[in-house]
Amino acid sequence: MTDTMATGALPFIDPTAGGSRLRLALAPRPMDLAGKVVGLLDNTKEQADVILETVADILKSDYGVADVIIRRKEHYSKPASAELISELADKVQVAAAALGG
Amino acid sequence: MRRFALTATIDEFEFFLQKEWSDGLPVVTPTEPRVQVMLKATPRDPEEVIGVIPPAGEVATVRSVAIHALMAGCRPEYLPVVLGGLELILREELNMGGVQCTMHGVAPLMIVNGPYAEKIGIHGGNGCFGPGFRANAGIGRAIRLMLLNLGGGIAGLASATVFASPIRYTACLTEHMAQSPWESLAVSRGYAAAQNVITCAMVESPRLHFDDVSTEPQRLLRGIGDAMTAPGSWNMWFNSDVMVAMSPQHAKLCAQAGMSRMDVQHRLCELAVRTQKNLKRGGNWRAERALAMGIDPDDDAALIKAVKDPDRLHLIVAGGLGPVTAVCHGWNESSHYVHGEYAV
Repeated sequence: MTDTMATGALPFIDPTAGGSRLRLALAPRPMDLAGKVVGLLDNTKEQADVILETVADILKSDYGVADVIIRRKEHYSKPASAELISELADKVQVAAAALGG
Repeated sequence: MRRFALTATIDEFEFFLQKEWSDGLPVVTPTEPRVQVMLKATPRDPEEVIGVIPPAGEVATVRSVAIHALMAGCRPEYLPVVLGGLELILREELNMGGVQCTMHGVAPLMIVNGPYAEKIGIHGGNGCFGPGFRANAGIGRAIRLMLLNLGGGIAGLASATVFASPIRYTACLTEHMAQSPWESLAVSRGYAAAQNVITCAMVESPRLHFDDVSTEPQRLLRGIGDAMTAPGSWNMWFNSDVMVAMSPQHAKLCAQAGMSRMDVQHRLCELAVRTQKNLKRGGNWRAERALAMGIDPDDDAALIKAVKDPDRLHLIVAGGLGPVTAVCHGWNESSHYVHGEYAV
């Protein structure tokens, strides 16, 4: 449906159109993890740290990952800070938002 | 603002449902003339920004709020409450963004106090959680439609809610002041009775606690306190908000025994406890959660409070005649209730 559709008697408004929407392209997906730096974002749920440290070890031992950087959000119900996202974007080639539970 | 036009073959109600610009029920079709009528209910500039609705981040302006109020079935005079409510709901401390995405099913419940609520017919008497009361239904629905259409808090998309809950259709009421023995919630927080105030807290749908037996407050409040301590509710393990709506009959039983609103609020906080041993039998007890509250996980006799801070028990008098109290459990510690005066 577009605003060029056939005219009728009762024009109405798209309630979702605020004009602030950004279209972002997805980052390219690597075919393997060998030699890459991987970021894991701990969402602070219980035992997320245990799970992620285990995953980090496996990523390095089995997948040739050069390094793993683990960072922790302030709270699982809140978004990661801009500083944290920026830091991961600068330092890693692959990042995963990961949770415990 | 994009505009569409209807062909003879497009049904406007079906179109809005197909586009998912709805809560699943038909909406009032937003047309420019209707929006202009709605906007006359406020002196504010239609382009004034009210806030950004997470997580999609669409900007809500006075105009887009008016569009959604219209869609929700609001009368124009409800618009100031929708505008004031949305401003409150978007305050950082309430953490609407977290609730938009959570597995939980809480919603921002609006308790509207003051003369304007009465003037426009917000209902606090029998059946006040709905259905059947246009102001309650429309104001709360307008907020929900914006959380969906502008915030993207749609189950299966941004929202990971497992069940959601009926309170996500609408969550707006006032107190039954004509039958309340006490001052309003807003007055108890220091506002004047003439001020128009909204209190907003993240809570679950009401759970009804019947007590047609108690003849004095101690037994009555012990039972309500038990209802506040349901295993599996997050307020047992987090410092979160809880809302208790006493029917006038239950409130008067306390008032006639000499208890003030504050007395009841504090007594409920004392009584709404379970031993850790009891809570270990099921639900969401974890050693880490006990430790986070400063409680030894091995101390089975430790009393776990449903309300950690009495200020976060929102006690109101609402509902019709009858021996019932409604209890709404809360969410987690990342959300803190908000309140404020709104302009009419």
